[in-house]
Amino acid sequence: MYEVRFHGRGGQGAVMAAQTLAEAAVNEGNYAVAFPFFGAERRGAPVLAFTRIDSKKIFSKTQVYNPDCVVVLDDSLLDTIDVVSGLKPEGIAVINSKEKPEDIDLGKTINTATVDAVSIALEILKAPITNTAILGAFAKATGIIKIESLEESIKRKFGEKLGEKTGEKNALAARTAYEKTVMGKSRGIKKLEARKQWLPTYQEMPVGGSLIESKTDAGLIGPGSFIENKVSGWATYRPLRDREKCVMCLLCWFYCPEGTIHRISNKGDLMTNYDYCKGCGVCANECPVDAIKMVRARA
Amino acid sequence: MKKVITGDHAVAIGAKLCRVEVVPAYPITPQTLIIEHIADFINDGELDAKFLTMESEHSVMSAAAAASAAGARVFTATSSQGLAFMHEMLYATAPFRLPVVMPDASRTLAGPPGIWCEYNDSMGARDSGWLQLYVEDNQEALDMVIQSFRIAEDKRVLLPVMPCLDGFVLTHTVEPVDVPEQEKVDSFLPSYKPDIILDPARPAMIGAFMPAEYIMELRRQTAGAVESSKEVIQEINGKFAKEFGRDYGGLIDTYRMDDADIALITMGTVTSTSREVVDELRQKGEKAGLIKLRFFRPFPSEELRKAVAQVSALGVFDRSVSYHGGGQVYNEVRSALFGMTIPVINHLAGLGGRDVTKEQIMKMFELTRKAAKGEKVNQINWHGTRGETV
Repeated sequence: MYEVRFHGRGGQGAVMAAQTLAEAAVNEGNYAVAFPFFGAERRGAPVLAFTRIDSKKIFSKTQVYNPDCVVVLDDSLLDTIDVVSGLKPEGIAVINSKEKPEDIDLGKTINTATVDAVSIALEILKAPITNTAILGAFAKATGIIKIESLEESIKRKFGEKLGEKTGEKNALAARTAYEKTVMGKSRGIKKLEARKQWLPTYQEMPVGGSLIESKTDAGLIGPGSFIENKVSGWATYRPLRDREKCVMCLLCWFYCPEGTIHRISNKGDLMTNYDYCKGCGVCANECPVDAIKMVRARA
Repeated sequence: MKKVITGDHAVAIGAKLCRVEVVPAYPITPQTLIIEHIADFINDGELDAKFLTMESEHSVMSAAAAASAAGARVFTATSSQGLAFMHEMLYATAPFRLPVVMPDASRTLAGPPGIWCEYNDSMGARDSGWLQLYVEDNQEALDMVIQSFRIAEDKRVLLPVMPCLDGFVLTHTVEPVDVPEQEKVDSFLPSYKPDIILDPARPAMIGAFMPAEYIMELRRQTAGAVESSKEVIQEINGKFAKEFGRDYGGLIDTYRMDDADIALITMGTVTSTSREVVDELRQKGEKAGLIKLRFFRPFPSEELRKAVAQVSALGVFDRSVSYHGGGQVYNEVRSALFGMTIPVINHLAGLGGRDVTKEQIMKMFELTRKAAKGEKVNQINWHGTRGETV
């Protein structure tokens, strides 16, 4: 049995990638399953997806804890999650990154493949949706699936949902990534610390799960605790405002869905809190004088 | 003060004596008189509470949960279809530990539509985390509203409580009820002071989304609260008996069980009739006894095992069916007595509000006697049903 764990963020298509891989594997005559695990659905939140491939029916319904391969759709996850946790020693990490494998620190030296899936996706799909590109890299890095099988599945699956043209573009993204994938070994310098989580026993849990503002070893809990949860890490773009062009109409302030734009009192100016800006581009879209440009966040 | 009043009236007076603060309500027969009386109390200045006329029972329980989370003492009442309609919100009140008290006027749940007494409405809420009790007369109905608030608000419990009173047999029947004095109730039931409430001055999260990392601990916590309610119920029964002079026995009550050879387990008003049947059987020399199952949640397994230790056969009365193998109480009792060798048979009667007669109860004892003698008896017996052979 071959087991894959996908790490992505809501909206990047990790679930679709896992399913597409399963379908391609089945079309090659195997048995395969794919399933997601995510919290409340929201764009940008870390999500997991899993694919299992075998020559016979798979009965296991648990999550994958010792994958043969981990696929990382968003390299900003490397800072917060031990993506290679439980990876088999001979396993491989496939990472969406501009860097070469040798420049990526996974906390241990392991087989690593990288590809700049964002740039490929932006060029071919005109959107930073990296799931099909990363599948191409997976095919190249693991040899578990033929790129032709993937192209076929992508065309069918994406074509069915988004139209024939989009299906073909996504297949092209996979093929391009397949050709551009760089193989090597990761660095193992940084110390991986398990993410601290507040995990009370049932006796420790507040009655009824009701919480007031509280501090724990794992950080804040209860109302207001989201202040610690910086959500800009995965932004592909960020807004840059030209103060000369800006007429202070405040439409951007009004439309920002995250409330990241603040008025600086008494100065007649605005500031954007980039800790919480997800780079959605609504402000740039609404600006009547084109004072806001969206630029790549992680150049 | 003695008053000759209906069960619904008694329950409403109970709520008034508890100084309930918020009453979201929606009328349904045979509960309607309860909320009408409450509305009168508020209108006449006898009760200082917020009465909320809701558009459905689902909204009633939503408002009840929210008001309770805001720190109010909340009361409402429902029945049958109404209880079914608020089913979703029942499941929100218990794990979030909101001590709402809501009498259920027991009534058959459609289909087919009907308005008379059956327990298939409240049995559907069995696994919601609500504590559930069944009363025998109007006095107990009033007293248990008072005790319910005390149990519900106890820090060891903090769970909603549903006292069930038989539709029409109690709700619309007048009998003498001793109405306790306000001062005595005030000293028995202190005001409700929760630790965390919804208050803008001190923000709190109550009823928030929980990922899988937390829900199981919350379930375990709720299960623990239901379990610890047992000792609280016994304790409060004792305190109530001391202050008001009426001892209901706590989780169960027994009647002439000391030397009983055969016994019947009953709930609600059938218990009352059965007391007279037991007396008649005793006069004939039959060692018959009665166990009144007062609380269905928590289920008093230990107490029942002790109570039946000496009997040679046990009959279990059910006023609802699980469409699988007898009634819900029967199945719970058998589970509680697992490992004991006493024959236990089921007596289904009074479904849809059909009158449960003394003859039927006599027959229940007769069949239980047969089982005690080792004679062949059906496990599940439908009493008063046309076509049955019993």
